[in-house]
Parts: sequence; C-alpha cells; structure tokens
Amino acid sequence: MSQAASPPQITKGRRRSSKDSQSLWQVVWSQFLRHPLARFGMWILGIFFTVSFLGQFIAPYGLNEYSTEVRVPWTPPSKIHWTDEKGSLSRPFLYPLKRQVNNETFRDEYVEDKTQKTYIEFFHHRPESSYRFLGVIPTDLHLFGVQEPTKIYLMGSDDLGRDWFSRLLYGSQISLSLGVIAALLTIGLGMVMGGIAGYFGGWIDTLIMRLVEVLSSIPGVFLLLTIRAIFPNDINPVLIFYIITGILAVIGWGGIARVVRSQILSAKEQDYVQAARALGANDPRIIGQHLLPNTASFIIVAGSLLIPGYILEESALSFIGVGITEPYASWGNMLSLAYSGGFETIDNRAWVLIPGVLITVVVLAWQFVGDGLRDAFDPRRRT
Amino acid sequence: MLPFIFRRLLQFVPTFLLGTVLIFAIVQLAPGDFTDILRENPLIKPEQRQLLIERYGLDKPVVTQYFSWLARFVQGDLGTSFAENRPVWEVIAPRVGNSMILVLLSTLITYLVAIPLGVFSALRPYSFPDRVFSILTYFGLGIPSFFFMLLVMYGMVKLKQNFGWNVPISGKSSGDFTGWRYALDVFIFALPPSIVIALRAISSESRFIRGQMLEVMGQDYIRTAKAKGLGMNNMVYKHAFRNAVVPLVAGIGGLLPGVISGAGFVEVTYSWPGLTPKLLEVLTTKDLYIFVSVTALSVLLYIVGNIISDILLGMVDPRIRYN
Repeated sequence: MSQAASPPQITKGRRRSSKDSQSLWQVVWSQFLRHPLARFGMWILGIFFTVSFLGQFIAPYGLNEYSTEVRVPWTPPSKIHWTDEKGSLSRPFLYPLKRQVNNETFRDEYVEDKTQKTYIEFFHHRPESSYRFLGVIPTDLHLFGVQEPTKIYLMGSDDLGRDWFSRLLYGSQISLSLGVIAALLTIGLGMVMGGIAGYFGGWIDTLIMRLVEVLSSIPGVFLLLTIRAIFPNDINPVLIFYIITGILAVIGWGGIARVVRSQILSAKEQDYVQAARALGANDPRIIGQHLLPNTASFIIVAGSLLIPGYILEESALSFIGVGITEPYASWGNMLSLAYSGGFETIDNRAWVLIPGVLITVVVLAWQFVGDGLRDAFDPRRRT
Repeated sequence: MLPFIFRRLLQFVPTFLLGTVLIFAIVQLAPGDFTDILRENPLIKPEQRQLLIERYGLDKPVVTQYFSWLARFVQGDLGTSFAENRPVWEVIAPRVGNSMILVLLSTLITYLVAIPLGVFSALRPYSFPDRVFSILTYFGLGIPSFFFMLLVMYGMVKLKQNFGWNVPISGKSSGDFTGWRYALDVFIFALPPSIVIALRAISSESRFIRGQMLEVMGQDYIRTAKAKGLGMNNMVYKHAFRNAVVPLVAGIGGLLPGVISGAGFVEVTYSWPGLTPKLLEVLTTKDLYIFVSVTALSVLLYIVGNIISDILLGMVDPRIRYN
C-alpha cells in the first residue's frame, strides 16, 4: 500500500491575503478614527462624561447648599493664591470673603479677609456634603475643599450663595444623561414599531404609519408643552426627569420607525429570511435576530444625531421653567438665572453664561461624532 | 391637478381626525379642568362654578365634548377661551400674526443668505472660506437658540449703553405709531429674533445646498457642458443650481406649519408676543379650547403644506407628473 502522499510543504507562516478581511465594526471604527473632527468630539465627550460621572467627588459642595445665616449671594470666583506674602511658592490658599458696602458705588462687594489664611486641601473630607458613590458606597471624600467658614467658589455663586461649579457638575449629570436615555428609549420604541410595521405590512403598517404622520403633524413644541401640562406644575422634581425623558422619546420615535420600516421592507424579501422561515423560525425571531441587526448602522447614526437635539430640547424646556426644576440643577435651568437676573447679571457675573457654553460644546461634540459615524458607515466614503 | 389635490386632501382627513383626537385626549388626561383654579377662590360659590361648568359643557362626557368641538371647528368657530371669555380666534389671531411676521422675516433672511453661501461653498470646496463657513455652521447648529438670543440681547444692551443707539431689546414695538412708522418700528423690533431664528436655518440649509450642489456638479452632464465650453456662470446657475434646489423647493411647503409654531423659545426669551408665550400662559389655566384649536390649526397647515410641497415638486421636477 502506498502511503498517502505527504502534504506539500507549506512555507512557514500563514499565507495572508494582502488585507485581512475585517468585520463591519472594525472597518467603521478605523474609518471613524480617520475623521479629525469625530476624534475631537469623542475626546470631548469622554472628558465630559468622565467628569460628570465623578461629579459628586469633584464638586466641593453639595447640590443645594446655602446658608440662610451667612448670606453670600453672587460671590465672584475665589482668588486662589499660589505665592505667599514673601513671594515664594506655597500650597494654594485663599482667604474668606467679607461682605461690605463699597464707599464709592454704594454696592455690596466682597473683600478678602486677609487675616485668615485657609489652605486648599486635596482629598478633603466634608461630612456636610456626603454622598453615595455610584449610589451605593457612602462617602464624604471630595477632590478638594477648604475648612469652613471659608468657601471655595471656583466659578462664583448664584443668587442664593450656592457654588456654581458644584451645580454645574450636578447639572451635567442630568443634562448629559437625559439626552442619552431619551435617545435609547426612542430607538427602542422606533425599532419595535418600525419592525412590526415593516414586517407585517397590511393594516398594521398603515395604522403605525398614520400614527407617525399624526405625531409629526403636531408641532413639537406644542406636543411637549401639552403633554407636560398633563402633569401638575409643582410635581416632584425627580419625577420630572423621567417624565421629560419619556415625553421626548414618545415624540421622537417616528423618524426612527420610518427608517427601520423602509430597511425591513427592502430586506424582507431576501433569501435568508425565506430560509429562516423554512427552517421554522417564528416571526419575532426573524425580526429580532435577522432583520433588525441589519438596520443597526442606520439606527446608530440616527440615534447619535438624536442626542444633541434632545439635549437642546431639554435645556430649552428647563430654561423656560417647565423642565427640570429647583432644587435640581440642569444646564438649561441654570441659564434661566442669566435671563431673570437682567443684563447687569451678565456684566458683573459673567459666569452665569457658562452653562450655555457647555451645552454648545457638548452638542457640537455629539454632532461631530454623529457626522463621523455617518461617514464611517457610508461605503462610498471609504478612504 | 385639481383631482390630485382633492385626493390628497381626502387622504389627510384621517390624519387630521386622529391628530385632533390625540390632542383632545391628552388635554383631557390632565386631572381637573379650568375651574380648578376657581375652586381655591373662596369668593366664588360652588353654584357659580357649577354654572360655569355647565356653560362650557365640561360636565358632558369627553366624547360628546370632542364632537361638539369638531362640529363647531369645521364651521370656523374655534371655541371660547375660558380664561378670557373671548372666542379663541380673537385671542390667538394677533399672536399667530406676530409669529408669522417672525417666520416670514427669518425665512427671507435664511434663503437670502443660505443660497449664496451654499453655492459659494460648493464652488470652492475645502478652500479656506469654505472651512470657515463650515465651522460657523457647526456653531449655528450647536448653540441653543435661546442662549444665542440671550447673547444677542446682551450685545444690544451694550450697544445701547456705549453708543446710544436706539436698539430694540424686547417686545414688539416701542410706542404708538401709526401706518408706515409703525410698520418700520415693528420691522426693526422683529430683526433680532428673526436673525437668531435664521441662524440655525441658515446653518442647516447652506450645508444642504452645498451637499446637493457638490453632488450635482459631479454628474456627467455637467462635465459634458464644461467640456463643450459652457461658461461657469451659465453652467452653475442654469444647470447645476436648478437641479440642486429641487428638494429645497419641495421643502418650502414644510415651512407652513412653522408659521404657527414660530420659533417658540426665541419668542419667549425676547418677549415677542407670539403664539408660544401664550401657550405657556395657557399651560397653567388648562384652557382646553385654545390648546385643541391651535393644534388643529397647525395640523391643517401641515396638511396644506404637504400638498403644496407635492405640487411644487411636480412643477420643478419634470420627472414627476401627477395625473
């Protein structure tokens, strides 16, 4: 018996084609990274989300801390001194502020009380503003702080004496997360409705598409205000967060549903769907496991472009007072202080405008990321 | 053409009905009604409240209320406002007119600026001015409209303080003028909010036009025209531009519902007496008919706008013919 021929000698190392085939996600990722704006947007969002996540740790004070005995409205940002009297570098410190009337302008102003030098402590424990990290671990550790009665106002204070910087951090938690959660809800709702409409067709399709048309025929602002009016004006502020999220999602699912439906209509007749049906897959399985994942690219792009819109809508609602209310902070909420304080506010207390700037930056970052994703998924724009 | 319009109108009837039913249901979902506020007031006796309720038909079942509203609406009666005891139309007509002023002015500004900007950017893509405009449009899309309005108002105040110019800060007009002077006054007051509204529209429209123009200019027939020696101006405006703006023209009909809703938040910030500030007021009083009738009106306008868009599209795009 002749032995089986030995296999031909194969050169060491696998024979590689000129380019390893990549999965869709790898291609998209590498395309995305080639977009300088998109990378920039991603970095900004990364920084914002990280800082916001650690908000309670980074903020020296709590959300709603002000004292009614020692009133310090509209404190300017604290001056942090790095050199002591002799001119040499020292640990950063600041002085407590005293309120007194300026003899020339007859207005209140804050003067440093140079008798008490208070050092800034890092990793400072502050029992008055203890919190639960990640909602679980109770702690009172803050990144930095000063001993009472000195207060450190990195960005000044508002009319009640609350630290603006701390409120910005707490506000970021609401403003950033609300957009993302609402977008996720919208995508979920849109996928389900669009999937059902596209797959089953017939009267279900007509009904759902009519619903979408009705929802888009009513101007967004009206619908927002009308649904908001269902709930009493002075409702528990925590509930408002969920309500606003829900309203935004319920109004916005139409666009996603339409896209999903058209995708499914075109994919429905393809062979793999017939094969799956022949193998006995039931309808939900076909929709969920086969059709919907193919729409993923559109959904991701549409979703990432939803988020900046939602951030803008939430901040607009909070600005006019029907969104997030006191004592919780949201960037739109805080901006309304600039509006109600009159224009002297902007002159003397420019820090009230910071929330608006932050909103713009975050919205821009999301738009860069969304555009980058859209170009990355577009097969005609491969570089 | 006429049968087409008629058919489209009929198609939209269920949408209209569904939309109004939806709004009616949502408003009725709110617990209590208009007379709740009166309940707090000790001077108003319960019998008087009951009279009011009966007068406005608030004690009838919701379905009856809806149909009686609908019957009156199609005859042109939009209902009565509870809070002001006036027909809804009287209450909202001036507001709608004001919002319309803003929308018309801002649309004018938008197209006057966005079209040249988009075409220019498309003709010199990736050049320095194009990049600058790109960055500006990104800002235009990113900045919240009410925030920008705030900054503009602040800028005006500064202008007034430092230069003494008589610039409008808020509201609709500064005094009792009549005739031409009034019109001019209102126009000047309408400028700042219109510009702010236009900014966002300019940003998105100019990018859209740029994209469309770039796509059209890459087409073969443009290349043929260029090879045959057609001048740049002729080519751009006669051939490329006309094809690029087809979707834009079709989108004009979509502006019609915007006439009613205006640009709500800018109006509120600037204290311009438009529709949205009124709606905010009405939020607290639960003035049922204002909500429902205004929304029904805007649904109507949406439908009309859709039909106009279709007609315009048919006129501009020779590939589409309705018969």
